[in-house]
Amino acid sequence: MSPDPGVLAAFAEPHDAARAIRALREGGFDDVRAAMPAPYPEVLAAVGKPRSFMAFASLPGAAVGVCAGLALTIGTSLAWQLVTGGKPVVSMPPFVVISFELAILAGAISTLGALVGAGAWGGRRREFPRDPRFAVAGVGVYAAGGDPERAAEILRACGAVEVDDVQ
Amino acid sequence: MSPNPRPSPTRLERAVLAMHGRPGPGYLLLLALCGGLVAWGAYAFYLLFTQGLQLTGLGRPVGWGNLICNFVFWVGIAHCGTLISAILFLFRARFRTAVYRVAEMMTVFAVMTAGLFPVFHLGRPWLAYWLMPYPNQRGLWINFRSPLVWDVFAVSTYLTVSVVFLLVGAAPDAAALRDATTGLRRRLYALLAFGWRGTDEQWRHYTRAYLFLAGFATPLVVSVHSVVSWDFAVSLLPGWHSSLFPPYFVAGAILSGVAMVITILVPLRRAFHLEDIITPHHLDMLSRLVVLTSLIVGYAYLTEFGLALPQPASDPERATFLYRATGHYAPFFWTMVTCNCVLPLLLLARRVRRAAWALVAVCVLINVGMWLERWVIIVTSLSHDRLPFAWRTYAPRWPEWALTFGALGWFFLLFLVGLKVLPPISIAEMKEAQAHAAAPSGTGTLAVEVSHVA
Repeated sequence: MSPDPGVLAAFAEPHDAARAIRALREGGFDDVRAAMPAPYPEVLAAVGKPRSFMAFASLPGAAVGVCAGLALTIGTSLAWQLVTGGKPVVSMPPFVVISFELAILAGAISTLGALVGAGAWGGRRREFPRDPRFAVAGVGVYAAGGDPERAAEILRACGAVEVDDVQ
Repeated sequence: MSPNPRPSPTRLERAVLAMHGRPGPGYLLLLALCGGLVAWGAYAFYLLFTQGLQLTGLGRPVGWGNLICNFVFWVGIAHCGTLISAILFLFRARFRTAVYRVAEMMTVFAVMTAGLFPVFHLGRPWLAYWLMPYPNQRGLWINFRSPLVWDVFAVSTYLTVSVVFLLVGAAPDAAALRDATTGLRRRLYALLAFGWRGTDEQWRHYTRAYLFLAGFATPLVVSVHSVVSWDFAVSLLPGWHSSLFPPYFVAGAILSGVAMVITILVPLRRAFHLEDIITPHHLDMLSRLVVLTSLIVGYAYLTEFGLALPQPASDPERATFLYRATGHYAPFFWTMVTCNCVLPLLLLARRVRRAAWALVAVCVLINVGMWLERWVIIVTSLSHDRLPFAWRTYAPRWPEWALTFGALGWFFLLFLVGLKVLPPISIAEMKEAQAHAAAPSGTGTLAVEVSHVA
């Protein structure tokens, strides 16, 4: 899948890239994307996307883990009612330990699944021109759509090291 | 303290690729040594498998010995990785960036080592699957009220979450290496990168997911060693039955884990010339953690004795603690106190913290002390129970030592192989730290070094 036509710029410094992204958005470019080797917070803030939905995967996952832990411990204890040390068959304190561990386990696995899924889905939805250098150094800024000459002008003004059209 | 000059972005990739390059004779020699230890341990396990636990020194009343000491020791070693990667991440401790990947790798391999020992100790290891709850025709289920079952859940969860945390953290670095290599290594890195391309969309989800994983891992790390301590604390044995055990075990685990990280990092930075990446500042900060946790452990030792000694002379708890300090195993006890409480105080001196090999020597001795701590807790309490007619000293036999040293070889074997597969330095986080440490004038180190535009 090829990305939408646009203008790709390489920046040496993340704060220059962040400035360019803000300038592009103020200039009417709604679809501005970035690629970088590290999670530069100023660049992510400038792109202006809402907070990730990861919490909606992690927390339900953990809740499922709690329920699974309680169901497993209580259900199996009732299925085979072995009294140990005169304690109740359904002893909540030890069962909380199992539920806690399963909550962490399920929460972590659901987070991993959501991360892999979101990365794949987001990559298809907002394709970035393949450019291996942004995995190593610098920041790539891609203005998709709009007037390419105007975008190139803004990017150069903000300190882009290199600007190219992507068709 | 001023850190060394910052490495350039491509320096990080080059450093990791150099570590992943053709192994040198030193690496192969270490690999062979570890392989030899593993083979010795495997032979001992074969004998235990075919002839049973009669080959060990275990017997009434000492039913737990070297093998369980090793289990607790390796679970403890595993704790530091999550402490450094997750807890220090949540506390925004910047010094972790250069060292946490090594600590995470150590965590995973230490849990894989720890998990072997309960199986060795079972006597009938082919029935190890009985520890897991599964539907069976007898309608039997495991006893969830047993702390040994809590261990199964805690340790297996810890292993899974540690592996997830390690692989998620390594994905952006693997992507950077994927784009800098060809052939088989490129395919390997592509597999580890999970399709990573470093787009803002991916980073947006990644940073949030990493935060949640750190949030999950932090209570997990505390819970796992608390659960391990409950193996002892929920019993009624003098010397074990104490509510002090969970924090005491967690602090001890962190002490031994951080000491092991330093023990591994110093030779690693020397062998692969990583002095500009893993700087004296990083070792200094880790040393401070060692001192802090050593003081907590020392406080726990004092508390145990402070609670037991004022009791009447007939109190079994008091008798047990006096036996620890003056009985058959007193040399082990005093070595433990020296290694865990006295030697770490040397690290209060900046000169010792900055002398890498002195630091390693202290850390190796701390781990000797921490292993002895498990011995002192487990063996002295069992061998000197309430009933004097049942008192007996325990001495491990050679298969137990073979498994102990075989496990050491197994751990370092896994680590040496891991060094060749996983990026031992977090390239992405190091780059982020560099970018923000660089001057905002735009003349920093982040030059775009590849001119080609795809």
